[in-house]
Amino acid sequence: MEYVSPEGLRLDGRRPMEMRQIRAEIGAVSKADGSAVFEMGNTKVIAAVYGPRQVQNKSQQMNDQALVRCEYSMANFSTGDRMRKPKGDRRSTEISLVIRQTMEASILTHLMPHSQIDIFVQVLQADGGTRSACINAATLALADAGIPMRDLVTSCSAGYLNSTPLLDLNYVEDSAGGADVTLGILPKLDKVTLLQMDSKLPIDILENVMQLAIEGCKAVANYIREILLENTKQLEFRRGV
Amino acid sequence: MAGKGGANPATYSPSPTIQKKKAPLFKEDWVRPDGRGFHQCRPAFFRTGAVNAASGSAYAEFGNTKVIVSVFGPRESKKAMMYSDTGRLNCNVSFTTFATPVRGQGSDHKEYTAMLHKALEGAIILESFPKTTVDVFALVLESSGSDLPVVISCASLALADAGIMMYDLVASVSVSCVSKNLVIDPIFEEENYQDGSLMITCMPSRYEITQLTVTGEWSTPKINEGMQLCLDACAKLAKIMRSCLKEAASDSKE
Amino acid sequence: MVGLSLGEQHFIQGGIAQDLRCDGRKRLAYRPISVETGVIPQANGSARVRMGATDVIASVKAELGKPSLLQPNKGKVSIYIDCSSTAEPAFEGRGGDELSAELSTALQRCLLGGKSGAGAGIDLSSLVVIDGKICWDLYIDGLVVFSDGNLLDALGAAIKAALSNTGIPRVHVAAGASSDEKPEIDVSDEEFLQFDTSAVPVIITLTKVGKHYIVDATSEEESQMSSAVSISVNRQRCICGITKRGGAGLDPSIILDMISVAQHVSEQLINKLDSEIASAEAGDDDES
Repeated sequence: MEYVSPEGLRLDGRRPMEMRQIRAEIGAVSKADGSAVFEMGNTKVIAAVYGPRQVQNKSQQMNDQALVRCEYSMANFSTGDRMRKPKGDRRSTEISLVIRQTMEASILTHLMPHSQIDIFVQVLQADGGTRSACINAATLALADAGIPMRDLVTSCSAGYLNSTPLLDLNYVEDSAGGADVTLGILPKLDKVTLLQMDSKLPIDILENVMQLAIEGCKAVANYIREILLENTKQLEFRRGV
Repeated sequence: MAGKGGANPATYSPSPTIQKKKAPLFKEDWVRPDGRGFHQCRPAFFRTGAVNAASGSAYAEFGNTKVIVSVFGPRESKKAMMYSDTGRLNCNVSFTTFATPVRGQGSDHKEYTAMLHKALEGAIILESFPKTTVDVFALVLESSGSDLPVVISCASLALADAGIMMYDLVASVSVSCVSKNLVIDPIFEEENYQDGSLMITCMPSRYEITQLTVTGEWSTPKINEGMQLCLDACAKLAKIMRSCLKEAASDSKE
Repeated sequence: MVGLSLGEQHFIQGGIAQDLRCDGRKRLAYRPISVETGVIPQANGSARVRMGATDVIASVKAELGKPSLLQPNKGKVSIYIDCSSTAEPAFEGRGGDELSAELSTALQRCLLGGKSGAGAGIDLSSLVVIDGKICWDLYIDGLVVFSDGNLLDALGAAIKAALSNTGIPRVHVAAGASSDEKPEIDVSDEEFLQFDTSAVPVIITLTKVGKHYIVDATSEEESQMSSAVSISVNRQRCICGITKRGGAGLDPSIILDMISVAQHVSEQLINKLDSEIASAEAGDDDES
């Protein structure tokens, strides 16, 4: 199948290096300590953060750092074909773990010993790149909750189809079987915290694809920063500072 | 409970009664499949002390619906549970594999379990046994309509037999609305063709409703009528349950 | 879980007794309701309903299936509710299952009517494509995004809104196929049939706190309840289902009184909801 037309357009009309439209909103869940909605094209996720608070399961308490927990779940109506999956299947357990590890890397956990931070992400619509969208939503929610972080983690995916590197794959491109690189970076520190890839790629091409994904992550980071700034300004305004 | 085919030879022959009947017609002047009047309950039979190992138990038989309930406890709550200054009630309703006409899975019935819990928790004086749990296990041996009301009534009798403190016995009755008629204590066939149903669980001496469910479309006068029917039947049912308890108590004295 | 001090508890109870609740409402007043339709483009119909802070999404998906043997002239509808852990950390893992099951059965009881289909909010016979062979299976999925009390009413409203947003593709049946053959069908992707949702009831939960009962309780108020009765009422003021929560017993006359209050309140709620749905639909059309 042809994923990139001779004119250089993708199935949904984007250029190979073009991202889908992103949109974010802070404070979607009113009583959570922090929450955010993040959309990448048709992919839409909600993240809510509760904490830092007392550790519920005493045996998991750590004396030198905070306990970070994460749960990823997909709504029944999130995919094209309706399916009813029990909570905690293997895929969501894996993604929960990935998100937790990525976020843990940026949270200054040593500042909050004896406490726990819960991150819950809920996929409302899945159209490829849910992992990235979840990480971006979680970052925003953590920032909204005022949890100290080294940097904003942002994530974006990139792939390689029809010998073209493609940024931000949608579901059709994701399931095409080509390489799919999901990258998470700390944009200010310029460090990679998450790197996952399916199938195979020659090393020199991987470099290109990764570079593309890094560009994507930075674009997301700029957007997230803007949203946070806007939100802070509004808070400032409301407080009458 | 004598065998039905007493006169038949001892060889296998398909009994004619098992054959599927045609869907009953509910026209203007229909009669109930078991010949009862519309406002007449099935004869109720209760017996306490059906399970020796339990702290209390009861067996109930309403027509073909047969239920056995055993109560264990109060016993110490599981360690993992937090401290609570009131007792906990743990219910479970399950069906035998042979309870339904089509061989079933014999599995737990979550909906009934939740309903049983809600119907009973208001009647038990949970403050009288803090830090402990009472288990109520109900098993439907044969299902033939109005299962849940029978389970609830039988469970309250078993709790009384176990000596668990209650405000009052809990009696439960349902009515079905079948083609403009209200029929009390419906059997399986009637439940399958009902337009709506109303189930009331109440404590008759206190005149309080602990659980109420309604399905289907009901007008206000009809709801009133249905509720009154149920409440009257509950009061009668409670009398039968009370006499069963008295009988058991006087038996044990002798 | 809501942790309230004794003083706070008394404050809530006292306010309800004086017909002035913590957020300034009267006992029978609803929080502001906002409806947004078409939030899930992948579904046949969807809606997001917010009542105060309570936030739920309902989606309707239609799939072609086979009618059951017992009722060959009817389609099938199933309702599943999922409590997202974003709503409450306690819903993590299997924590929300119990509440999900309770809400699902209560909604089924309130919206789907009796076994024979009488009093159902959705006309099941309209879902049949070919008698006994093909029908539409409607899957109604609800998701609790945030819970601040009164979930059942919000979910009922969301399902009503989602159903009025639902378009079922028109199906053309190839004529001339003999009865025992598998019929050929052609599902149109342009023509959609709208649902008639005027018969879908609304659910009104009356929560009893002290001697009085209130509608649209917040989670703080719900923590003080002795019992709650959910009554679904349709436009004809007929009762389509009742479920009771909470263990405490109620006098039968109080229940009858609650029913008449619910019937009274339902009229306002239905009108409010209908106008919200209509404006949401209109806004939705403008965008697309």
